[in-house]
Amino acid sequence: MSKLNETDIQGFVLRGYNLPLARYLFLHFEDASRARTLIGQLLHHVTTGQRWDGGKPQSTVNIAFTHQGLAALELPDATLLSFPVEFQQGMKKRAGILGDTGLNSPERWDEPWREDRVHAWLGINAQSPAALDSRCAEILGLLQATGGAVMLPSQDAAAVVIDGKPTTREHFGFTDGFGNPDYLGVDRSAQPGQGKLMPDGTWAPLATGELLLGYADEAGELPVVPVPHILASNGTFMVYRKLHQNLATFRAYLNEHAPLYGGGREKLAAKFIGRWRDGTPLELSPDNPDLSIAHDPKRSTNFTYGADSEGTRCPIGAHIRRVHPRDAFGFNGRLINRRRITRRGLPYGQFVAEGEPVSDTEERGVIFMALNASISRQFEFVQQQWIEYGNDAHLGNDKDVLMGNHGGHGKFVVQGDASAMNPPFICSKLPNFVELRGGDYFFLPSITALGMIAMDLVDPR
Amino acid sequence: MPNKNGNVYGLTILSPIIDDDKATPSHDLQIRRYLATLPTGERSPFALAPGTHLARLVVMDDVIYVGMPACEEHLESKYLVFESNCDGELDNYLNGLAASVSEQLDAIWSHCVGYPGAANRQAFIDYMKACQIETTFFFAAVNDKSVSETLRALQTQHAVADFIASHQGMDPARLQAEFAQFVAELRSAPVPKAGSMGQPRDIKTGGRNE
Repeated sequence: MSKLNETDIQGFVLRGYNLPLARYLFLHFEDASRARTLIGQLLHHVTTGQRWDGGKPQSTVNIAFTHQGLAALELPDATLLSFPVEFQQGMKKRAGILGDTGLNSPERWDEPWREDRVHAWLGINAQSPAALDSRCAEILGLLQATGGAVMLPSQDAAAVVIDGKPTTREHFGFTDGFGNPDYLGVDRSAQPGQGKLMPDGTWAPLATGELLLGYADEAGELPVVPVPHILASNGTFMVYRKLHQNLATFRAYLNEHAPLYGGGREKLAAKFIGRWRDGTPLELSPDNPDLSIAHDPKRSTNFTYGADSEGTRCPIGAHIRRVHPRDAFGFNGRLINRRRITRRGLPYGQFVAEGEPVSDTEERGVIFMALNASISRQFEFVQQQWIEYGNDAHLGNDKDVLMGNHGGHGKFVVQGDASAMNPPFICSKLPNFVELRGGDYFFLPSITALGMIAMDLVDPR
Repeated sequence: MPNKNGNVYGLTILSPIIDDDKATPSHDLQIRRYLATLPTGERSPFALAPGTHLARLVVMDDVIYVGMPACEEHLESKYLVFESNCDGELDNYLNGLAASVSEQLDAIWSHCVGYPGAANRQAFIDYMKACQIETTFFFAAVNDKSVSETLRALQTQHAVADFIASHQGMDPARLQAEFAQFVAELRSAPVPKAGSMGQPRDIKTGGRNE
């Protein structure tokens, strides 16, 4: 395929910025005309996918809309009705399908998500608090000058700082951010294990249409898009989920169960996720963490599960094996290549080191954002089948140990062998280590589409 | 033997529904109305009778004309479609249905042409076989195990997982004693009832994923 037009695609889609700070602003439009004026002015601030040859900027700005937001902008009905059903419905109405029930049900979500008030998401990423504040002040100025939107409560997020340095750890202590796939035409320093598995065992980029609208996907099909096509092309869909982490519960559970497990506490934690806390894949180093692997891009994601079908190295239900089964289902990975998502986002809340007092009620978690061409085929499938169910992995009704909505009844099997350091083990009465606090489905348009929206030129005919 | 895959039988039956202008409501509507009230779970007729892994009853009105360039065709009758993935030999299975849930069978099939009633066992089996068409392709994810073997396996899996979870790290002598008792209890436990192992599910939401 030809090179993507990086000047037309929002930068947030093409790359993780690796900036340590973020603020997610949520807007509510009250008047379509004023809102369009605001978008026209914001357009000059939106960060595109152009390469940063002159170094990273101090801050970035990206924008996305809920279906209600597009309706508030008075896009034509023929356009609004042509969006995929799940996007029209929004995440709250999909709660049953997603397993967002009980502790995760919408009535327990944070305020702005309980009501249907969120029309747009503005993602600001920044190098420093000063850069973040000044960029946000600039945007607030635009809001006030145009009267284009009301600001709802915003969400701050930041890389977890340990020993004064921003890290890629999340609050449970695991190194995050290994899994994003490569896509054809997306300029990125690719590493083996991040695309799709080829019959000869090498890895190749996924079809562009798994990430971006307007391009062929892994089945050679064009994803369902709204009319006119130019509104959709070079855009994508984003899932935003605020995932609260019950850190006290997580540590207490580990403390309670680790003494019963022959492999010890750190190994049990590693078995949950499939990586040691430093990121070393269990599949490559089952007995101990090895930074030389975790830090080596040629190895850190370069593994398969074919030689570990019993799960004695990496448990079959470990988080990374569930959400990216690689070769585990056979058929050269064809059963998973259309179920991949690209993850963005950062943790929020104060990091608390092991051994220090901690409470579940403190605001702490991860802002999970997933980009995909089809929310129902990609994110929702992963959430429904691989997080909240276990049949594809021959695990019956078991859910993902870390992410699952267990409600105190979950079970997780650590497969093992006859050695004393790697015995089989069963974790039962699993609580919810993670709880959903809100979110929604967003459309992240191209620069062209943003211009069309701003100028009221969206014409479905 | 396209109707059989290992020990699992793929049964497809098409029974023509009585076309009677004077019936109010029409017979197909009466079947639909009755099917909508059938219980799921342990009280489903297919749980009460032996040998059903999965079953489905559908009223098929007609083939759908999708417009040009397709040619317009119609079925000669409305049909009741009965599909079942079941255990073993067909005669045994049909016999079991007639013996266990004759009332429900009669309530459904009495709206079909030529149905003799379940009380006349041989006539019932002959009728069902006369309506059978070759299944040719089906999939039952039961690892070639019978319904009772599957229920027993699920029961064992749950019980063993619970046993391990509550006995991990126990002193070996006590563990052995408790395990022996556990095995004895499990062996003598009755096979769980069909339809009792899953979560209760409303008839309207089965398999819905939209």
